[in-house]
Amino acid sequence: MSEESSEKSLRAPAKAVPLFSFARVWTIASSTVTQLVRMKTFYFLLAFALIIVGIGNFNIPATPAKELSMIKKVAFGTMDLFAWLFAIISTALLIPRDQEDRTLYTILSKPVRRIEYLFGKLFGVLAVVATSLVAMFVICAIMIYSRETLYVSAEIQAMEANAQYTPEEMQAQVELIRQQGLRPELTVAVLASFLKASVVAAVTIFISTFASSSLFTIIISILVFLIGHAHSLLSNYWTTQTDNIFVIQAVKVIKVIIPNFQLFSFSEGIVQGAPIIAAVLWQMVGLTGGYLIVYVLLSLLVFVDKEF
Amino acid sequence: MSIVLQKVPRTILVLIGLILFGLIRTPFEDNARKGLVDSGMLLPPPGLSAMDQLSQSALMGTLGGLRSLVATYLVLEAYEHFSNKDWEELRNTYNVVVALEPYDESHWVSATWHLGINATANMELDEKLPKFERDRRFKEYAFQGIEFAERGMEQLPESYAIPVQMAEIYREKLEDNCATARVYKNAMDLPGAPGYLRRFYGYFLANCPGSEQEAYDHLIGLYREGRHQHKATLIKEIKNLEKKLDIPWSLRISDPDPDVESMKRRNRPESLPGGLSLPQ
Repeated sequence: MSEESSEKSLRAPAKAVPLFSFARVWTIASSTVTQLVRMKTFYFLLAFALIIVGIGNFNIPATPAKELSMIKKVAFGTMDLFAWLFAIISTALLIPRDQEDRTLYTILSKPVRRIEYLFGKLFGVLAVVATSLVAMFVICAIMIYSRETLYVSAEIQAMEANAQYTPEEMQAQVELIRQQGLRPELTVAVLASFLKASVVAAVTIFISTFASSSLFTIIISILVFLIGHAHSLLSNYWTTQTDNIFVIQAVKVIKVIIPNFQLFSFSEGIVQGAPIIAAVLWQMVGLTGGYLIVYVLLSLLVFVDKEF
Repeated sequence: MSIVLQKVPRTILVLIGLILFGLIRTPFEDNARKGLVDSGMLLPPPGLSAMDQLSQSALMGTLGGLRSLVATYLVLEAYEHFSNKDWEELRNTYNVVVALEPYDESHWVSATWHLGINATANMELDEKLPKFERDRRFKEYAFQGIEFAERGMEQLPESYAIPVQMAEIYREKLEDNCATARVYKNAMDLPGAPGYLRRFYGYFLANCPGSEQEAYDHLIGLYREGRHQHKATLIKEIKNLEKKLDIPWSLRISDPDPDVESMKRRNRPESLPGGLSLPQ
């Protein structure tokens, strides 16, 4: 009887693996987060905090409003730099590390599709980038708010001591400082940095699927990032500086193949106080989504038949 | 599909994918770019002239999406040039700064102020240079400051701070009342412009030969707005113009001449003999 039942179970068809499972992507993503945390990647936040404290206490020769604006620009610029650099380095390390540790073989021997693995890795990196950006924003916000409060109280004190300013004039001066202080729009600047870092991570994951080492991936990714930033600038330059048809065509090809990272640098304008246009912001979110999907699919094209 | 995947090399397929995606996204990105630049969220690429002046590290920073960082560093460098009275370097540095951050009003104002006010003041005092050279450079720097302001006004037509700084050059350095009045006139109706600009326009127009009647009409209009406009300088200028234009006595303002009043106050003894003080 027992032999019969065991025969039956052996003959039973294997349970069909669904084409795509979010649960499996989630599992890989959460293990990627753990992997990155174990790599002590969050230690860079300490360096960031030190930079921010340094900037905050730097004696800048300017008015309080101007000084706050400078602190904000440097803080958000550094945040943006750390975000994309972190996205490149952490993504570049992941697949080769999985190969070295032989974790990749274990994962791919299970009913996990390669696209799920790629998406899982990407989402894991994005979760860590997002957490880092939030942490960096909190550090910046504390610094900006403390400086803003300090400047406002000092200005009020100075104006009261002078006794020639009306309450409206004092309010206008305080408002001038507050405009450069901690404002809710700054969270959109953080989102802009996150969108840029997401596209960078997607491009890096694509490069890492055919790269021979992490170092190669990092170098090529940074190169692609720089070229992607110089798109409009270089095409303007070369189309006016040369008549060479080959150079002009080469610039056009580069423009088509390499992502336009300059477009994702809109956090700078927001930090400077530009109004946020929701429609344009949604367009950028959509574009980022497009980049993520297309680059993961292209990665899959390389990765799908790769023998390990 | 699987046949295509088997027959065609992956590199070719990837390239086709990249090109297709590039062609699809380009018009979409152009549209998004226009929206971002128009709203001021994205800074337009620096001009070619600025590119030539960027140092290697600044260029790398700019290409790395760190324009604000590079601009902030250059502002600090410009301050160093200001401390060393190196005006040519200061001008070059600000040329790059405004190319990197053209929407930051404070850069335009600072550049105009440094060149139009500080550099010219330095030329008034710099004994190391011959008088002729100092005079020549004085004018050169004043006009460089004005040129900066004009570029800034073109870039930020809503800014009142840039023309106000420009007017200061005409007023303090070139002593051109007509030009000063013209600049104040352009600035006074801009959004957020302080109220004193309307009075300043009238004061300088009053001292611009041939514009006395226009200045009188403007200043008397301000005077009629109410007591909040009855400033000593406004009353004085109206009184001067009444004399110059020979306005009939019946139409003249009744306020006493502020200069005569202050003179009276100054001549008034603070205390009477015997230590009795006068009520103020």
